[in-house]
Amino acid sequence: MGSRAALPLLVRATPPLFSFRKRPYPKAHVPNKRFYAQKSSLEPPNVPRLAETARISLTPQEVDEFAPKIRQVVDWFAQLQAVDLHSVEPAIRADTDGEDNLRGDVPEIFDNRDAIVAAVPTFEDPYIKVPKVLNKE
Amino acid sequence: MLSSAQTPRLLRSPTTTTTTLKCLHSSPVPASATAPPPPSQILTTRKSLLSRQTSAVDLAKSFLDRLRRTEPHLNSFLHVSPEEVILKQAEELDNKIKNNEAVGPLAGVLVGVKDNICTYDMPSTAGSRLLENYRPPFDATAVRKMRESGAIVVGKTNLDEFGMGSTTEGSGYQVTANPWDLSRVPGGSSGGSAAAVSSRQCMVALGSDTGGSVRQPASFCGVVGLKPTYGRISRYGLVAYASSLDVIGCFGSSVADAGILLHTISGHDKFDATSSKREVPDYQSQFVAMDYLESKPLKGVRVGVIRETLENGVDSEVISSVRDAVSHLEDLGCSVTEVSLPSFSLGLPAYYILASSESSSNLSRYDGVRYGKQVLGDELNSLYGDSRAQGFGSEVKMRILMGTYALSAGYYDAYYKRAQQVRTIIRNSFKEALDKNDILISPAAPSVAYKIGEKKNDPLAMYAGDIMTVNVNLAGLPALVLPCGFVGGGSAGLPVGFQMIGAAFDEEKLLKIGHIFEQTLQGCSFIPPIIADEWTS
Repeated sequence: MGSRAALPLLVRATPPLFSFRKRPYPKAHVPNKRFYAQKSSLEPPNVPRLAETARISLTPQEVDEFAPKIRQVVDWFAQLQAVDLHSVEPAIRADTDGEDNLRGDVPEIFDNRDAIVAAVPTFEDPYIKVPKVLNKE
Repeated sequence: MLSSAQTPRLLRSPTTTTTTLKCLHSSPVPASATAPPPPSQILTTRKSLLSRQTSAVDLAKSFLDRLRRTEPHLNSFLHVSPEEVILKQAEELDNKIKNNEAVGPLAGVLVGVKDNICTYDMPSTAGSRLLENYRPPFDATAVRKMRESGAIVVGKTNLDEFGMGSTTEGSGYQVTANPWDLSRVPGGSSGGSAAAVSSRQCMVALGSDTGGSVRQPASFCGVVGLKPTYGRISRYGLVAYASSLDVIGCFGSSVADAGILLHTISGHDKFDATSSKREVPDYQSQFVAMDYLESKPLKGVRVGVIRETLENGVDSEVISSVRDAVSHLEDLGCSVTEVSLPSFSLGLPAYYILASSESSSNLSRYDGVRYGKQVLGDELNSLYGDSRAQGFGSEVKMRILMGTYALSAGYYDAYYKRAQQVRTIIRNSFKEALDKNDILISPAAPSVAYKIGEKKNDPLAMYAGDIMTVNVNLAGLPALVLPCGFVGGGSAGLPVGFQMIGAAFDEEKLLKIGHIFEQTLQGCSFIPPIIADEWTS
């Protein structure tokens, strides 16, 4: 594939991921300034909106705490945008086996239903009880 | 009881703090002045039990005594099985032996199980407060197989919550200490299992490895860590973090123990469609007794050292230890060349995109409805939102949010799809390198164990430590980490491990090479100071 020949050149052109200062004892390795220089060209993460999508009720303090860290990591992700991946097939998994190992679609009774029911926080036989679903206007 | 299995301690305290402590390596000439370490606790146990030299009850008691003594310092376990339960299982085994009944290959072996692997009779929390006191209704397949082989599960070991982390500082419950220096991390996420095996609180342990979570703690704690090929061991009962990357892995104090454990738990499982139907070889046949080895037992084995893993960013002492390990392999007959994998550094961001994305999907099942912590609200969305907010720790929340972002409409092509493409490149580059080499070598981590608290607030600094391991998960390949030396630190040095990477389903080769390397490594004893007095008396 043509892109693979180009890849080593492109990869060498990108800055090193990190460089560590040497110390006698293992200490915190602080990535250098170039590590943080990349910025994503896409809209930055909107943490409150993401939290709503992911159904996690974040406190305002958590939003303040997480937003810069998430931004930093997402900008770091952005280095992949610079790599030429033209005509490279995406791999869903490593595909070490290449075999189809699906079993037949035959139902079986699970023999420990009591333990499953015991784990349910609010159970009123035979219902799992939850609050009402509010339809948002 | 295991006194016959002990080696005199050869390693003395370091005289300087910055020199690499070198282990001696020699050709396998029998009858040297110092005996090599015993090849296997599992085999030694079996021999002692069947010859009636010791009983399973006495063995269990001695390990439990040591566990009780060391646990307040280490905090490796989230749950220890009650003594009477363990001793009852041991007693049943002793009765079987007394009646000359057949016993399984792991008879009397005390195992630790990482707490993200389900055990029906013990809580399984995955290190999260969200699953506090959760009891699964079944055993994971790997646990069931171990139990059927006669193993006794001692308890559930500590981990970073849901496998997300490299230190156990991300656990919702406690931080595990490194047995070599209690102020340092044991590594993660399987830090509890690594610490437990290192300090001989149990003989072997199960962990899980999504981005290095078995191999890095194995290096930090001076034990053997084996990551199998993706699909070798069933994931049924392993709490899912990133389904295309997760595997269950094995910890042991020797390569042979890791291999025997691997053999016991490998194989196809109808409950895991990603588990391979390939036959499981008899890994135990790889463990040749030292007396039968020729002078160059690894003649013809082609070893490729990955150049990009011994460059800037890796501690010089780690590089030095790994180079020593490579020299040792050369002495054993290997032909060594340097291999370049130019796409190597891309693996880290690709891994974190894929892992965060897959985890955001996998962890959506924790909604407070069918299991786990529930925080009642007056409507359904607040039940979800509050249960998850109060149950998950910070690192987990952040990774879910990052994954949600990477999978959002409009961003999929920029992040997730690109990461999948990088996976293809990395997989192909490994395949190419492994067509020309039997194994590839790298450090297991860019440093030795660092201090607790050092990387807690800097996610990128912590992620950077996974550089040596994530590519192997992306490619789905097997890898073996074994200790090869020490660097200065603590009272007896800090262990360094090196990593051997093999082709898919080629665990046999890794185990064979690892076993010979380990048995011929003189002058190194990987017994941590916390149990040193007892182990060498």
